[in-house]
Parts: sequence; C-alpha cells; structure tokens
Amino acid sequence: MKKHYIALWALLAATFAFFAVASAFDSPSIGGHKFKSSGIADALFAVPEPEPCEIPAIGDSATATATRPAFPAPLDTAAQTILFIGDSMLEGLGPRLAAYAEKNGHTLYTVIWYSSTSEVWGQSDKLAHYMDMVKPTYVFVCLGANELFVSDIANKRRGYVRKIISDIDTVPYVWIGPPNWKPDTGINDLVAENASEGSFFLSNGMHFDRSKDGAHPTRSSAALWLDSVARWMPQHCAHPIRMERPDKASGKARRIFVHQPNER
Amino acid sequence: MTAIADIFHNIGRMLTYDPSGPMLFSSGTFWALFLVFMPVYGMLRRRFWQMVVFVVAFSFFFYYKSSGIFVCLLGATSAVDWLLSKAIARPGASRRVRRLCVAASLLTSLGILAYFKYANFFLWNINAMVGSNFQPLDLVLPVGISFYTFQSVSYIIDVYKGRVAPTATWLEYAFFLSFFPALVAGPIVRADYFLPQIRENRHATRSEVYTGLWLIILGVVKKAIIADYIAQYNDLIFQTPGGYSGFETLMGIIGYTMQIYCDFSGYSDMAIGIALIMGFKLAKNFDFPYKAQNLTDFWRRWHISLSTWLRDYIYIPLGGNRKGTARTYLNNFATMLIGGLWHGAAWKFVFWGAMHGAGLAVHKASKPVLGRIGDSWPVRAASWLVTMTFVALLWVFFRADSWADSWTVVSSVFRDFSAAYIPAFAAARSLWLILMLVIVVSHCLPTRFWESAQAWFVRSPWIVKLLIFIVVVQLVIELRTESVSPFIYFQF
Repeated sequence: MKKHYIALWALLAATFAFFAVASAFDSPSIGGHKFKSSGIADALFAVPEPEPCEIPAIGDSATATATRPAFPAPLDTAAQTILFIGDSMLEGLGPRLAAYAEKNGHTLYTVIWYSSTSEVWGQSDKLAHYMDMVKPTYVFVCLGANELFVSDIANKRRGYVRKIISDIDTVPYVWIGPPNWKPDTGINDLVAENASEGSFFLSNGMHFDRSKDGAHPTRSSAALWLDSVARWMPQHCAHPIRMERPDKASGKARRIFVHQPNER
Repeated sequence: MTAIADIFHNIGRMLTYDPSGPMLFSSGTFWALFLVFMPVYGMLRRRFWQMVVFVVAFSFFFYYKSSGIFVCLLGATSAVDWLLSKAIARPGASRRVRRLCVAASLLTSLGILAYFKYANFFLWNINAMVGSNFQPLDLVLPVGISFYTFQSVSYIIDVYKGRVAPTATWLEYAFFLSFFPALVAGPIVRADYFLPQIRENRHATRSEVYTGLWLIILGVVKKAIIADYIAQYNDLIFQTPGGYSGFETLMGIIGYTMQIYCDFSGYSDMAIGIALIMGFKLAKNFDFPYKAQNLTDFWRRWHISLSTWLRDYIYIPLGGNRKGTARTYLNNFATMLIGGLWHGAAWKFVFWGAMHGAGLAVHKASKPVLGRIGDSWPVRAASWLVTMTFVALLWVFFRADSWADSWTVVSSVFRDFSAAYIPAFAAARSLWLILMLVIVVSHCLPTRFWESAQAWFVRSPWIVKLLIFIVVVQLVIELRTESVSPFIYFQF
C-alpha cells in the first residue's frame, strides 16, 4: 500500500479514535462552553433495546395510567396566556396550538430551541426568564425527542427534568412526550415519574407520518398530534382548559422566540 | 461478555438497513466503514479484478444501507443494461436489432423510474381530471434512482452511437453504475469519461489523496455545518408561511437559496473527494453558480453533470439550435421542463423547470439588445441582481409544500416588510448571518484564492491536516441538529 494511503488512513483513524475516546468521558467546558460529544461510545455501548413489540394504546400503558387523575378535573373556561416551550417539534405543533388559541381566546407565546433537551433547558435560565416575561397561566412543554437514546438517562437527566418542572412552579402544565420513532431508553418514563399527575401526555405508540428526516411528524401529522392532546385533556388532564377544535389548520402565535442549538 | 455482545449487536444494527438513517458521507457510520474500506482498497488497487469485485461489493452494500432491498433492483438494472449493451455492439447485429435493444433498455430503465417516481403523480392527475378514485400506490422511491437511471441511459445511447465500447464484463459495468461516491446523489458520471479510468488501474498520487481530503473537508463544512445549520431557520419560514415578517421571510428565501447550494455542492465535493482518494476523477459539478450574471451562465455553473446530460441527450437530439430560432427556444424550454420533472413528481417542479426554460429563452432572445448595453460594472451588477432574484424566487416554488404556500411566502415579503426587524434579527440570529456571510465571501473570493488554499493544504504537514480535520468534525458535532438532515438531492 502506498505511503500516502497509510498516512491518510492514520489521519482518519486518529480522528475517529479521538472522538470515540472523548465520547466516553464527560465533555470538557472551555470559557463556559461545554463541548458536545460525538456520541460514539453511547452508540457502541448502549444496552440493546428489546425488539419492538405491540405498543400498548395510550390508555393502557402503565405510564399513561400513572399520570392520569382518578376523575376528570373541572374545565377552566378562562382565557389563558399560554407559554409553549420545547425543541424543533414545536415547528409542527406550534401553528396548530396557535389555531386552538385563536379559536378559544387564549394568547400563545412559543419558544423553539432547536436541538434542545431537558439537559439544555435544565442548565439554562431561559424557562425562568420566559416565565417571568410572559407570565403564563398555562404551559405546554414538548421535549425529549433529542434524548430518546441517551443511556442511563434516569441518572443523567432526572435533575434537569425536575428543574424544568420547578421552573414552571405552580402554573398548570402539560408535557407532551416525544413522538418516538424508535424505542427510547427511558425519557418517557423519566418525565412520567416526575411530572405531576395528569400533566404528561404520552405520545409514544401513536402513528405519525414523518417528514424526510424520519423523525419529525409532517405538518399535517403534527396537527393531528396536537388534536390528540386536545382530545386527551378534558378527561385526563389535571387542569383542562378550553380546547375547542378550530376550523383553521394553523394560526399565529402572539410571538415566537427562536433559539439556536449553540445558544446557552 | 454481555458488554461485548452488546457492542456486536450495536455494530450489527449500524450495518443494517435503516429507512430513517440513510448512509451519508458525513455520518460516523460511513467514516467507520471507510476506515475498513481504505486499507483493503489500497492493497487491492493494483490487482484489477480483486479491486473491482471489492469496490462493487462495497458499493452494493452502501446502496443496501441507504435503500434496503432496492439493491436488487440496482443489480437487475445493471445486468439487463449490460446484456443489452453487448447485444447492441455485437458485430453483425442489424440496425433493427440494435434499435430494439436500445428501446428495451430505455423502456426498462425509464419504466422503473417512471413507476417508482411518477406513478402516483399520474394517478393524482387522472383523479383530478376525470374525478376517478384510484388509490395511490404504496411506493417508496429508491434512493438515487434518478441519478443512476440517467447514467444507464447515457451508457446505452453512447454504446449505440459508438462513442463508448461496452464493458467486457458485467462487473466493470456494475462498477461504473454503482460506484458508491456518486451512486445516490451524483455527480452523474459519464461512461466515456469514467470507464477508461477503471482500466487505468493506478494509485492516486499524494497530491490527489490530499486534494480529495481537502474536498471532503470543504464538503463537510458546506453540508454538515453551513447547510444543516441555516436550514433550521429556513425550515421555520417555509413550514409556517405567512407567520413571519417580510424581512424575516426574505431572509428565509435567501437562506434557502444558499442552503440548497451548500447542501448539494457540499455533497458533490465529498463525492468527488472520495473518488479522488480512490484514484478516480469525477467532473466538477458546481462552479460558483451564484456568480452567474445571466441564466445561461447559471446553468453552466449549477449541477453541471445534469445540465450537460440534458444538453447532450435531450436538447441536442431535439435539434438544439440547428432548426431555427423559434425551435431553439422550444427545445430549451422542453429540456428544462424535463429537467424540472426529473427533480420530482409534482407540478411545482414542472413549473420550476418551465420558468427556467422560459428564462433561458428570454435571455437568448434578448442577447442582441443586451449586447448593445455594454459591459460596465453597473450593468454587470444589475444583471447579477436580476439573475439572482429570478433564481431565488424560483427556489421558493421548489421548496414550499404547495402553490398556496409559495405565494404566501413570496407575498409576505412585500406585505409586511419593515427595516425595524433588522436589528432584532441580527441579534437573535447572529450565527445564521455569519454563516450566510461566509458563503457570500467564499463566492466573492477569486478562484485563485481557492487554488492556493488547496495547494497549501496539500503541502501542509500531516499534523496540521489532522488538527484541521478534528476542528471541522467538532464543529459538525457542535452545530448538528438532533437528526441528520438528508441531502436535499437524495429525494431525486
């Protein structure tokens, strides 16, 4: 083999080895910026998931049962100021929730933080900032899609999930679980365990038409997803609000705040 | 023991077809496989048949990872094409038999493409026209089928015309058709250019190897850093048409214009770089298209392998410019219409192609007038602005989900445009703006600069190359989205 082939191979191998080894350790921080991990070690050493079997319907799953209040709570008919925070899934859910808000007299503020996770939100003070700024009377959260495959997630992320919930404080909320495209390593169970009763909507097990990336539901599918949340709320949510189905497919939030993945 | 079993299980999973995770050149899985591929390829490079078998096997596996069972279709297409090409070139074969073989090959290749890509489009249109209720077929488009079908068509026609001799064995033809760097998203490789390189059987030089690495790094920067990052904002604009101010929408349109360039040319750079490392030269696919000052120039710089293919196998056979002015315009228009339809089975692509065809015709028709205006810098600036506005506006129709969305996006720019958004936008999307600036500056730099940079990289010490590569990979990791965005041109 030619010398320059060997040199190139060594370069590629050294780079690969560098990132593989680095991913086995906690990412270092420099100047307050925490470097992201390549995830190679996680991908290699992840405990294999059991083969997917028949996924129980939402009403039958242990998680959903655990978060369902014993009886329907009374409907809060007041117009709400809604804060909707989460990851890129809000691109699909946000416009539909805005349509519900317009129909039912609520005011919606949306905060999309791309590629965000419970860790990212839990480490930042953005939620507290928006709670303070918007002063919402209701909060929707959609997080978890970017941490479906994190190993040992209960230990790694429990504190952050609790931090998010404590930032929401006493304001009623609904945490919409991620739209699994593969079995997760425990994010749904983690949120379900920590969310107050009737505040977690399990999306796992629902059927979605996916966009080209195979992960995000298409816009129409995301609208149906939000419709499912709205249908679930009167019977199962701890604090149901007016969520009459709108005729319009999408609406406009009062304001949309966007944060990029690298922001902290 | 359990941990080792888990690792093997995970590796096995990574090597299995996953519909949601096509194998991208910028993915860790590809690089891990390339690390295994390279030394074996390096050892076999001078052993012709062993090398061919190995590369074909790897290419088929690469295609299996991206498209699953459709790898069988690729194998079958290549076998049928090769047998027919042998029949076409057989000494003593009558003209009638040769023509029948060409027809059979075109029918097979284009028939498969038409079935997978256009059957549902056809059904939807039939339903819309006659009010019938044909159910759409449950079809999945095999990745890269449009690219390798065009390669197969050009090969058969070239063999028929005597421009290329058919390969002696199926393996050599399979090597050409399935060559993994160009398999799923081009560049469209032409047989007369590529087949002799297989037989040349030579190692890449040191300069070619590191030029290849340079192109890969450029490609990764364009695709995985710039295109994927700016896509997040652009998607927001196109997924909520009318939901943003005029200025923000305008930025989304410009952003998508840059995104599709970085996405596709980045992929091409990686493909050309990988091929070069293997000792194969693929023709340039992009040549700073947004420097173009008219539409004709744009199409000489954009997706060059497709435009030259369309020129050689559609425009010229239709008569090109040999049958009068009106016919030339019509040929141009028809060629671009087909080019538009090649991009996807939807009226929006037909419209996009038709508008480019019309634009080319208008440019050709107005050449005498434009020639009298002169070539001063204000004229060049105005020409560039008109060309880019036209190109960017048509990208809106290319990208948006529907006609209604396209019009909403375009009209939003004029309806709600206010400079008051600019400071807030700059504050909120500073990195997006910086990356856009990087693309603009990189376009403005003279070609000489890029040649010098490439030469410097090739000459630089190994450790410098390693550090650059590590920094680029870390940047990709820092900016990557939660799910890898497939190459836009994968869908074609």
